[in-house]
This record gives sequence, C-alpha cells and structure tokens, in this order.
Amino acid sequence: MSILDLESFRVLFAQEAEGRLATLGQLALELEAAGNDEGIIAAIFREVHTLKGSAAVVGFGEVSGCAHRLEQRLEALRSGASPVSSELVDALLQALDELSALTAQAVGGEVAEVGLKPLTIPTVSLPSPAAPAVRPPAGTHDAGVVMVPLERLDELIRLVGESAAAHLRVGRLLWERLGLEPAGIPEFSELSRTLNDLQERTMRTRMVPVATMTDQLHRAVRDLARTLGREVAWEVRGGDTELDRGVLRQLSDSLLHLVRNAVDHGVEIPEERVAAGKPPQGNILLHAMQLGSEVVIAVTDDGRGIDVSRVRSQAERQGIETAGLSDEEALQLVFRSGLSTAHFVSDVSGRGVGLDVVEASVGAARGRIEVRSVAGKGTEFRLIVPISLAVLPCLVVAAGDQHFALPMHSVILARADHAGDTAHAEERSAVWIGGMPVVVSSLVGTLGMPSTPPAGPVVILESGARRYGFQVDALVGQRDVVVKDLGQLLPRLGVVQGAGVDPDGAVLVVLDASGLIERAWQSGPAPADSPPTSAVREPPPASGVILVVDDALTVRELQRSILERAGYRVRLASDGTEALAALIGEPVDLVLTDVEMPRLDGFGLTEAIRSHPAMANTAVLILSSRASDEDRVRGMEAGADGYIIKSAFDERGLLTAVEQLLGSRG
Amino acid sequence: MGPDLYAVPMDGVRKVVRAPLLTKLPTAPALVLGLFNLRGEIVPLLDTPALMGLSRIPDWPFVAVVRSSLGLAGLAATAFPEPAALGEPVGPSESPATAGTYAVGGRLAVLLDIEELLGGASRRGNHLLARPSMQGTG
Repeated sequence: MSILDLESFRVLFAQEAEGRLATLGQLALELEAAGNDEGIIAAIFREVHTLKGSAAVVGFGEVSGCAHRLEQRLEALRSGASPVSSELVDALLQALDELSALTAQAVGGEVAEVGLKPLTIPTVSLPSPAAPAVRPPAGTHDAGVVMVPLERLDELIRLVGESAAAHLRVGRLLWERLGLEPAGIPEFSELSRTLNDLQERTMRTRMVPVATMTDQLHRAVRDLARTLGREVAWEVRGGDTELDRGVLRQLSDSLLHLVRNAVDHGVEIPEERVAAGKPPQGNILLHAMQLGSEVVIAVTDDGRGIDVSRVRSQAERQGIETAGLSDEEALQLVFRSGLSTAHFVSDVSGRGVGLDVVEASVGAARGRIEVRSVAGKGTEFRLIVPISLAVLPCLVVAAGDQHFALPMHSVILARADHAGDTAHAEERSAVWIGGMPVVVSSLVGTLGMPSTPPAGPVVILESGARRYGFQVDALVGQRDVVVKDLGQLLPRLGVVQGAGVDPDGAVLVVLDASGLIERAWQSGPAPADSPPTSAVREPPPASGVILVVDDALTVRELQRSILERAGYRVRLASDGTEALAALIGEPVDLVLTDVEMPRLDGFGLTEAIRSHPAMANTAVLILSSRASDEDRVRGMEAGADGYIIKSAFDERGLLTAVEQLLGSRG
Repeated sequence: MGPDLYAVPMDGVRKVVRAPLLTKLPTAPALVLGLFNLRGEIVPLLDTPALMGLSRIPDWPFVAVVRSSLGLAGLAATAFPEPAALGEPVGPSESPATAGTYAVGGRLAVLLDIEELLGGASRRGNHLLARPSMQGTG
C-alpha cells in the first residue's frame, strides 16, 4: 500500500472512528439506564471490536491497543462475570474519551507527516469550529453527505436573497414602464414561486436537529449526578425538531447551564425524595417543539422547585420591591444578576455564570426565557427562540429622511397619535396603553439624528418588561428582512441589530428594541411617578385557531405575524395537500388560503373541506391575487366564506374579515 | 482626496463605484458616512481623511471598495480613483497607517496601509471607529 493510499485510508478511519465513538458514547449511557441488556452489551462489543480492527489496518497501534484493552474488560461483562454498574459505565466512558483522544492524536500527527502539515499553517483568517479533532476533507461521505463550509452556505443565502430582490425590482419595472401587472404574467409568477422555494430550501441547509447536541447534555447530566450522588433519568422529546445551527450553538451553553442547574438545584438526593413521597430517581426532560416560526425548548425537572420566598428575600436585600408582584412575577427575578436559585453558592451549575447570563445569551439569539416552578413538584425553564436568525419579520417605518426596520417580535402596537389620549409630564408625552402610561419619544431624536419633530404614528416597543413609544413619520409596511451582521469593522452599536437590503437596493437598518428603549430612557428625565414599565400584559383580544395556507414563505410569515399579534393561534401549511393533512389531524376554526399553489390549489382545498363532514364548521377565507369576478364566483361556489384580493390587502382588512367570520360563528 | 493623492495596492481593491445610494447608520462614529449595498453585501462607507486623523471629507463622488481582514470597506474619494504604477519611493510619510511617499508622474502619492488603516482603527479601541458619537452622519 503506498503512502498516499494509506493516508486516504487514515482519513476514512478518522471519519469512521468519529461515528463509532459517538455511537459508543450513546450506547454506554443506554446501558446504564437499561442495566444488563444483552443486546446493548453485544452492540458495544461489536463497535469496539470493529474499531480495533480498523485502527490496526491503518497502523494506529496505540488506538488499536487501547480498543483491545477495552474489549477485554467488556468480555467480562458479556460473560456475566461482572454486572453493569455506574462505576463500570464511568470506566467505559473514560476509555472512550481516551480512545477519542488517541484517535485525534494519531490522525492529526499522521496527516501532518504525509505532507499536509495543517499544524504549521497559521490559522488567522478562518475561525475554526469547536475543535474538531478530525476534519475529513470536503468530499463525498459514504452516507451521501457532503461537508460544506458554513461561509459557502451563507454566500448562497445572500445570493438567493439578492435574486429575489432583483426579481421584485423587475416586477416593479414591468408595472412602471410597461403597465403590466406582474402577477398576471404566468412566467413571472412561475419564477416567483421557484425563487420562494429556493429561498426556503437554502435556509433549510443551515438547519440542524436539536438531537445534535442532546448527547452532550445527557453526558453532563449523568456525570454531574454521579458526582453529587443524585439519581437522574434523562429524557429527550422532539429531538428531531430543527433550528438554525447558529441559534442552536448560541443556546448550547445556556442549555448546559440549565440541565446542570436542574441536577444541582432541582433534583434532591434519593433519601430526601423518598421522604417527600417521590421515587428516588429524579427526571430531567428536554422537550423541543416547533410553534410557528419559533422553537420552544423546555428543560423540566421533578425536583424541589424554586423557593419563591427565598427569591423575594434575596431580591429585597438588593433593594428590589417585590410586595406588588405575584409569585409568578417574582419568580422571573431569578434572571436578575446576583440572584440564585441555589441555597448556597456552588460552582457546579454555573461554572461561574448565573441565570442572568443565560437570559442575556438567549436574548442575543432573539429569544426569551420563562420559568415556572411549583414548590416540591419541580421547575420548568422554557427557551423560546426563532427558528432562524436569517429572516426577521419587521415593521418598516419612515423617520427622518430614511426607513428603519423594527423587529416585529418587539412591536406591541402601532397607531396614529390621537391627541385625545396623550398625556404630558416633564416635557415628555405619554400614551395610555392598557390602562398604563407609556412614554413616547421621537425615533430620530432618540437616534441623535437631526430632524423636525415627527407628527406621525406611535410604535410601542417592548423589551423585557419595559415598554416605550417611538413617534415616526409614517408606517411603511411589514417585511421579512434578511438580517446581516454589520461585521467586525464597525463598533457594536446598542441601537442597531443589523441591516438588510430593501427590494429597491437600499440598505435598511434594523434597530434593536432593547437598545433603543435604553437610549431613550437615558436621554431625558423619567416621570417620577409613572414608570412606563408594565409587567401586566393585555389579555389577548381575540382567540381561535387559524391555518394559513400559502406556498410563499414570506406571505405565510407575514400573515402569521399579523394574526398572532391579534391574539389568534396560527398553524401553517405550504399547499392544499399539506393543509388537508393538517386539518384531518387537528381541526381549526378558520382556513386562510392562497389560490395558486402546487399539488392542490385553494379552490380544490375549499371543495375538499366542504365535502368533509368533520370540517363543516371550518370557515374558509380565500386570499388571492386574481381580481376577476369569475374567480370570486368560483371561490364562492367552492364554498369559501370570504374572498380578499391581495392587492387590496392590508392588515386591517385581513383582521376585519377574520373577525367577521369567526365572530359570526361564535 | 482634495488636492492630495493617496494610493492603495491594486490587489486590495474590489471595485470602484460612483456615489452609491447611502443609508445613514445612527449612533455610529462620525467617520462612518453610512452603509451601501454592493451586490447584496452591506458595506460601510468611511471618511478616508478622517480615518487618518485629517479633516473630514466634504463630499464623496467616488468610492473605492477595499478588502481587509475585517471585511469590505468603502473609502470615500473626491476624484475618480485610477490605476497607476508607483515610481521610486521619495521619502517617509507622517500620517498614521501610511507606508511612505512615492512619485507618480510629476506628483506625489502617499501609500495607504489598508490593514493598519481599518484594523488599526478598530483595534485601537478608544480611537476613531470604536468611538460612538451622538451626531448624525450626514
């Protein structure tokens, strides 16, 4: 075998070993949970044996020696001479760590020797991902997987976004120069559809299942429980839930913190549990699920719960008034720095960081965190994050001489500034929102840009429990913005989250709600007796479940955000067939559907719903770009309850139609 | 820039564009003139003389887009940037982030060190790019 051949086999071995070691780690943890399970023991034995053989073939003596020693220990297990115990699993995991280190060493060293010398190349320009000891070359993998550098995917996403923007510009040109309605040109619509598909699929390339990081959490739970003398069963549900790799990575430290917290501060020692009438073994559950364009990851334990009175007394000692807070509100104070859920400070859960850091890092992923806890029963932390950081639904406003985008998830409401319900105090004006005064400043004034005082609508933003109103010149509309970081060249600006590109090619600055509120608050005196913060949220004004059916991602998300802000629960489907499947699984109150869609169109969907007895009560609202009377008639004949034209589409019109349909059924 | 000639190595220049459509970046340092779109990439336009600690540029009919390890940046210029071969070095230069003075035809050009100009500015922390300013960027 020539040196070159051997080298390529060693790279193959590296890939193989990585997979086998991951499987072995998982099997070891399963073995601990299952006890003397012959099937698992046999599987472990098989994996180790194969690894030993492969290592020997490519000449990695140390790796194969280590595997051999492990194999001998496993032999005793297989023959039943020694029972499965936590000590044995400890030893097994340690041996696997050792094998993994030896493999990395062997592969790294050998590759360098053959002439690639990756260790001698200064690695300044490319930030390498979390120390992959083994880096297979970008080529085809045996499982039909190609490894692609992340930058290349981002480049692809950028270009797809640029193509979609160019397409919109062409549409505008057709209308302005030739007077042609783009939606009426089949070729143009076809391209829209394809670009939409392309955009959605491209975004998906960055998505990974939550399961890619749960093994690491399982291992942390297990090791910590062993150290602290707890018995803990670990469970994962919804591990196949996908979200953006960047978001997941940003969350990994927070999740690690939360599960360690659950072991350390949540689950009691076995004696204490038994005394409290619980089984000696505690449970920690990680449950991931997708809700609309968000992913919820809940970490739940059945331990002692958080002692709210302790949280209150700790907070009071820091000078925080807690008398007016309900227990649930007081509980949220655990995210304040300096407060802890622990009875005494230990270094275990936090590795020196507290829940305030968790909240900050979840915030950085544009998410939020909530906690619920019942004394004696357990605690649940919920992380709610957007599926992708790439596309952000925004409200675009005009202020000064340019447009700004405000992230939709921070917008409470936007409305005209009616003189009737504004109040003034200490040179600031305020509006009444849900019975509470909310202070209002000029947006451009807050940004320090020269301007005349605006007289347009007020947009109320919320960040944490703080609300603040910003007056702008005009509301421009809602838009999904592909948000980009401003890069390393510019300093971090608190009020700016990033920037995107408008369809007309101009750069659109995306503002950060928390930074804006902070800055507005600092730039003037606060009214002494009417703080704008409000922990009391308005009750959702509307209720009902709506299924939004549209093949365009943007349209779906836009409608979702409008409806959700109005208080409806929203589910999504990308064509008629998918919608029908979703409806059979779980009925909804109203279906809002597009007409032109692949597989089954809106008319077909309406007819199918009407012919299904179980869905007789489901209202159907068709939203179409076809304005012809024939189409409207056809929609009514199919059994639709309402028909809205997209070009006449506005937020208010949509909500009015939905309210009418749901109200009349009420 | 104004009456002065400055040079950047050709291989560091990505493109030359004519007065791009500019979006102001609120709360940014004054020497960030704004952001513009270069084929889907968002590029900051920088006030070149201000970067070197000289007086602010009055207007910017042209922009040279340069590459650096920190990303793309637009350097504002008052006249059309043209390719030229630098002659003999004729002496050192005084401004920060420059690498000597060269003869070009009958004129003098100061060679800019892009990495130092951009990277240096962002590394120095309390200087230039890293210092937020309250004023608008127009």
